[in-house]
Amino acid sequence: MGTANDLLAKPGVIAVGEYAYRGDRFSYRGALTEEYARMASIMCRATTMGANMEGAMFEALRSGSGLHPPRGWVVHGPAHTVCVIANMFCLLDNTKASINDIVGFMRKELANVTPDMI
Amino acid sequence: MTKLDELMKLPGAMAAFEFRGSGELLEQRIAYPDRIDESILDLLAHMCAANMSIATMQARGWEKVTTMKGFYPVQEFTLIGFDWSVVVSGLHREQYKQAGKFSLPPFMGVVMANDKADYEAAFAILEKQEPVQ
Repeated sequence: MGTANDLLAKPGVIAVGEYAYRGDRFSYRGALTEEYARMASIMCRATTMGANMEGAMFEALRSGSGLHPPRGWVVHGPAHTVCVIANMFCLLDNTKASINDIVGFMRKELANVTPDMI
Repeated sequence: MTKLDELMKLPGAMAAFEFRGSGELLEQRIAYPDRIDESILDLLAHMCAANMSIATMQARGWEKVTTMKGFYPVQEFTLIGFDWSVVVSGLHREQYKQAGKFSLPPFMGVVMANDKADYEAAFAILEKQEPVQ
């Protein structure tokens, strides 16, 4: 969880978690209860699977589109943001976190995580 | 300048578009027609409409179950692909809902090249308040 620890040290990062593409295993650090982290992992995995399905559909329509394969997604709310790259999620406080910095860091650190298990 | 034109001025902007809540593409600007065309944007708009709905449902459910606030209403959903990202928002619609309007404005989105993408700048344009008509 080296990347998770690095993320957690960044301003505005409330919690970081990692989920298995298959099955219900997960791990997390930060200000979430275990039950909430489990719920967040399930929601993130479901959305990631949807994004991957969309990427595959895009690829089938037009090969070479820059959206395939998907690397992640971000949901930006009024006070909090959820950033997901590969199988890692990050919960942010919007007043303190830089989304550009967090997404850039996660894309770089998780660039070699293959989607083979999806 | 329209919001679509403003979105096209973002670094790495490849296309900007408007779509209905049901996903139909309404209007678009395309910087690289050889790479993105109307048919691609139409499918993307339908995907973005679905993603916004799912994210909104999850944000609503999460707030109810955890009592943590600040996720709903979803302001933007961003899909990050290998080389491109797409950011979409329906925040402007919230203003109309709060004003009691039944006819809502369209969702808006922008496709950007990842190596130049400035997500926060895209959010700022999409969140800019406009008068309710």
